[in-house]
Amino acid sequence: MSEIAAKAEIIRPRLWLARIVPYLLLQVLIVFAVLLGLDLLEPRDPDNFAVSEFSLREAGITRPVTLPQFTASRYSLADPPLYSGQFEFKADGAGTTWSVFLPRFSNGVEVAINGVTILDSRRDPTANRPDRNTPEIAMIPASLLREGGNDISVRLFVWGPLRGFLDTVYVGPDAALRAAYETRKLLFVTLPVVFSAWQSILAVILAIMWLMRRHEPVYGVLAAAMVLGVVQAFLTPPVPPAASSRLATVLLSSAPIESALIVASAVLFLGWRWPRYGVLLFVPGIIVIAGGLIAGPPLPRILFMLLGIPTVGFCLVLMAGIAAYAVFRRQDVVSIALGSAATIVLTCWAHDMLSVFEIMPNERTFVSRLSYSALLIAIGAGLTWRFARALNQVDSFAGQLVARVREAEDRLKASFAREEARARAAALANERTRLMRDLHDGLGGQLISIVALSERGQEGTSITDAARAALKDLRLVIDSMDDIGGDLMLALGSWRERAAMQLRPHDIALHWHVTTPQGLPLHPELRPWHVIQIVRILDEAVTNAVKHAAARHVTVTIETRNDGEGPYGVISVADDGSGFALGDDGEAAGASQTARGLRNMRSRARRCGAILELCTGETGTRVRLQLPQVFPDSDATVS
Amino acid sequence: MTDQGETGEAITILLVEDDAPTCWRLQDALVKAGYEVRTAGTLGEARIALAAGTPRVLLTDLRLPDGHGVELIRETRRRFPDTEIMVISALGDEESVISAITVGATGYLLKDAFPTDIATTVRDLVAGHSPISASIARFIVRRTQNSAEPPPGPALNTAKLTPREIDILWGIAKGFSYAEIAGHLGLSRQTVPGHIKNIYRKLEVHTRSEAVFEAVQQGLIKL
Repeated sequence: MSEIAAKAEIIRPRLWLARIVPYLLLQVLIVFAVLLGLDLLEPRDPDNFAVSEFSLREAGITRPVTLPQFTASRYSLADPPLYSGQFEFKADGAGTTWSVFLPRFSNGVEVAINGVTILDSRRDPTANRPDRNTPEIAMIPASLLREGGNDISVRLFVWGPLRGFLDTVYVGPDAALRAAYETRKLLFVTLPVVFSAWQSILAVILAIMWLMRRHEPVYGVLAAAMVLGVVQAFLTPPVPPAASSRLATVLLSSAPIESALIVASAVLFLGWRWPRYGVLLFVPGIIVIAGGLIAGPPLPRILFMLLGIPTVGFCLVLMAGIAAYAVFRRQDVVSIALGSAATIVLTCWAHDMLSVFEIMPNERTFVSRLSYSALLIAIGAGLTWRFARALNQVDSFAGQLVARVREAEDRLKASFAREEARARAAALANERTRLMRDLHDGLGGQLISIVALSERGQEGTSITDAARAALKDLRLVIDSMDDIGGDLMLALGSWRERAAMQLRPHDIALHWHVTTPQGLPLHPELRPWHVIQIVRILDEAVTNAVKHAAARHVTVTIETRNDGEGPYGVISVADDGSGFALGDDGEAAGASQTARGLRNMRSRARRCGAILELCTGETGTRVRLQLPQVFPDSDATVS
Repeated sequence: MTDQGETGEAITILLVEDDAPTCWRLQDALVKAGYEVRTAGTLGEARIALAAGTPRVLLTDLRLPDGHGVELIRETRRRFPDTEIMVISALGDEESVISAITVGATGYLLKDAFPTDIATTVRDLVAGHSPISASIARFIVRRTQNSAEPPPGPALNTAKLTPREIDILWGIAKGFSYAEIAGHLGLSRQTVPGHIKNIYRKLEVHTRSEAVFEAVQQGLIKL
């Protein structure tokens, strides 16, 4: 404690005081409460029926004694101290049953009324525990009772090292004595069993905890302590001279080991390292057990008295110290609960010690074992608290995780939105560029040509044709901007209408052959600029048929081919016109406009990844456009 | 070439177009075809002309100096259900044509159409054949597909269209002729125009709900 105090003083003396003083005051309060409680809970016996004047024959000497009385410690059951007394019996005519009630004795009694034995406590296993304060009651058979004076004799069996003790004996109507007996039985027999059951449940829970979480030895240590406690409670204590196994004897005196285990688990529970010299705490317990294993009784009992009980006390003091330090460090409920429980047990232990050494006038009621339940409750509460806190932490961790994920999601969304906006802007810029080029290629040129024709004062068809071409192109550009979902057929559908309208005044029939209902394969990668290029190629082919070939029929054939490497579309435009001359290089010879038109067609086909084939002759011209399986993504092939 | 109504009288057409040259051009084509054509340059004039006599066919531009052609179409549709209505469009773009269809127009006429095409279109219309272009059919069928976000462009409720009607629209959008569509779908070629007329009627934003709305507004119906 001094070391702790010194350390704390260096850090912050006032804080230390503020933390530890209320705790110490609380412990003082608890000590007083325990003492008061012990006094209040002390069972009251029916004094009207007390028989306390006895003559004691011990070691051949007879002397009068007044109960309660201590006798010398003995190690032999032969020739036990014999208490002989008298009591008055008066029959009340109602046949009331009389009993003899012994509130407290150690270690065993044999009661005889008028020379007939009616009670031998050695047959009651719980009565043989000096720490249990077991009371005894026995009904006196009516036939044994005589009107007037009756003899009562009590043989007190004592097995050391404790001194023998016999409390006042009560003889009277059973009804008058039974209540006091039941109270004592509840307090000193039933309650310990209940607590032992609780302890066994704790043992199971802790063992499971330890099995599931091997890296936390605290549960294992505590489980071992609980198991020892349960074994002590439920093992039948040996009654001399009956020989019991040495192992049972040893286990019965395992309390010092149990208390050392409790200290160890407290240290581990509070998250501290178990010091290496802490093993020393187990030494007394091991000595008791070793002695018990090597030598038979009564050595274990003697060793237990000499080493075990002081060790328990020392462990309790350690517990109180550890808890106080934990309170100082953490100020948490669990530490306070543990410390308070240690104080309660320590107080009771001190009470029992004073009782053993007969320093305090008492009736030799041992309460340490009973008060140990306070520690068990504290341990159970501490575990539950820790478990609940762990659950809360999991919850809050899950909550934090959700919040983090949401944050990340928001950030991602924001960046995605930025990226999307950037992409949209880029797409818009691309689209604008494309639109500009398309307008420049078609509409712009046609309008300029209209201007030029008007300025030259040309009348009639040439201007009309140019204007119609401009309108057609405008419609194409508008049309191509529509989303056709990769289905080129939808674009060709509109084109068919425009081409038919263009051909009708020239009395050229448009034949339309689609070889399959689907028409062309779907191209999800199809972009408006692909559509424009393809439609312009077809337009050019139709325009050539009208202007240069004097055709009567134009046949458009749409088919889907598959050479085993996936489907591709083929569109061909054939006319029955006169054709035109092709140069050696495959380019149209002569007429510059036709030549330019053909060059344009080829260049457009290239940009779309399509293959353009043109054959022309006396019987007509045929333009075959083989579409790619996948349209190119970029317009990079523009030369 | 002349076109006569059932009674032998000339079919009357009200042509509403504010651009004079375009108006003359269309008028010439229609008069040549034997129709009786009255013209109006504004919404106001059109209303006066409607009041003077119910035309068999209304051809109207959408952007008029004193209002929108859609109002005229809606009014005419309500007051004269027997009048066939067509919108005159420069480009035949979906925006204008669809908005006209939803108020009761059945088809459109391009301003630069050849005179023969103009006459043919009007004749078919009077005969009960509503013309539909590939691009309009495409617009409608693509609306039947879109489900997630509301697509851009004018509102269009395609919920009432039957799968057969949608198939017909697909065929038109892909450039198939009526005969080809009828062949693919196992229909008679003659029934296709009737389907198309039905499609137009189904796309009309329905007057019944409008009527209910107006009745509620005027306190004739209590809900």
